[in-house]
Amino acid sequence: MDATSPSQPLVLQGSRILVVDDDRLNVRILGGILRPEGYILAEADTGEHALAAIEAFKPHLVLLDVIMPGIDGFETCRRLRAAHGHLAPPVIFITAKAESNDVVEGLGAGAVDYLPKPFKAKEVQARVRSHLQNRLLAEQKQLLVDQLSKANAAKNRFLGMAAHDLRNPLASIRGLADFLLEGAAGPLQPEQADLVRTILDASQSMLTLVNELLDVATIESGELKLNLQPTDLARLVADSVALTNLEGAKKHTQVRMPSATPGIVAQLDAAKIRQVVDNLLSNAVKYSPPAATITALVALDPAAATCSFAVRDQGPGIPEGERHKLFKDFSQLSVRPTGGEKSTGLGLAICRKIVDAHAGSITAENLPQGGCEFRVTLPLHR
Amino acid sequence: MNFPGAILLVDDEPHIRKYVSLILRQLGQARIIEAGNGEEALAIYQREKPDLVLLDVSMPRMDGIATLKALRALDPECAVVMLTSMVNRETIEKAVEGGALNYIRKDIPKDEIARALAETIAAHFGES
Repeated sequence: MDATSPSQPLVLQGSRILVVDDDRLNVRILGGILRPEGYILAEADTGEHALAAIEAFKPHLVLLDVIMPGIDGFETCRRLRAAHGHLAPPVIFITAKAESNDVVEGLGAGAVDYLPKPFKAKEVQARVRSHLQNRLLAEQKQLLVDQLSKANAAKNRFLGMAAHDLRNPLASIRGLADFLLEGAAGPLQPEQADLVRTILDASQSMLTLVNELLDVATIESGELKLNLQPTDLARLVADSVALTNLEGAKKHTQVRMPSATPGIVAQLDAAKIRQVVDNLLSNAVKYSPPAATITALVALDPAAATCSFAVRDQGPGIPEGERHKLFKDFSQLSVRPTGGEKSTGLGLAICRKIVDAHAGSITAENLPQGGCEFRVTLPLHR
Repeated sequence: MNFPGAILLVDDEPHIRKYVSLILRQLGQARIIEAGNGEEALAIYQREKPDLVLLDVSMPRMDGIATLKALRALDPECAVVMLTSMVNRETIEKAVEGGALNYIRKDIPKDEIARALAETIAAHFGES
């Protein structure tokens, strides 16, 4: 046999394999099969020696006999997994024949595969190669995931800082425009007042965007801390409905809230859930035609120990094929607001993150009579 | 409402100084002195002895908390109200430990800033 077989990918050469077997002959045979593949081998004759060798030799793969004096192969495997968790090297059991009970117990103890005795050289080489490759790929994947989460954390910090720093100048722009409009610098001509109002509108949209970016940065960086308090959900929704009706007056939109069961009290972060309700109601106004009627519902499910609120609009519904985009960051659907309102594409993503943090769920369904319903279900207790 | 003789307004951003000054003037405060950084604030404080200092938390070099401590070291009676954007609990605790009377957010609507300033002035300089 060639010292290195040409089909062997270079990266696997030099991989360290620990062979654990009290039978010297088996160790010699496996050595003869595996050394030509370019691996570095170490041997152990008991489970205890194997566990010690793993610390020193740091193998990429372990071939482990089942029946040995002292602790058996299964126990060795379990201890290895207990000590190293997901960083433990993959284990392949060596079993006399393919005894199905051994195979099942071995896989149960955390092994990735088994090699039946007597060994077939090509089979041993192929299985070892494939598990070494799996491990290498898993390592590379983990490395990539680590790098990406670091990059994502940096992005969130940057987003948070940028959004935070934008709030001060925005506060001045808005405040100073307020002064102008009040006539603090002299009376304004109607046309001038109109321009100042446009500055105020534009800075309001920018403030909304900046606040939503801050929310996303806070939530994504894991700094979203819930302040759970017993909260009357029906009252919370009613407050939001009252405010939405004031703001929706321009569009002659009406939000109706059929009288809800009183006393639906759940452990919620009232401010955050209010943000979700506000968002769903303002979306309903945005996407429904002028003079639409929107329905807000609050319900209790004592059997499931959950409460829920739902918002039904009279908009065009969610286009088929765009549903998956609904709750994602910065995603905008092809449906547009009907009164020229703005949308950042972040509102629903934030809603979902807040609801997730409460261990609740948020869903959206098109209604048979037209329009759609957004429903948030929350556990009563945590 | 009784107004302090002079208010020292410290913020590194000129637009914020202009904005907060306008709010103070509208409330009826006549004398406002501005400083653009902590060092300048300390020099002016010693020279002018203002009755109240409105102090931005986040400034380059010498930040609001450091300036607060330096001011209180100069004059343990020095009345300081912090100006912040967003509320960071840690910063507020440091400010209170450092001897600040209160904090006012500057990223809230103008009328709310005006109300907070009026309440602070009334609390510290008396109603009548």
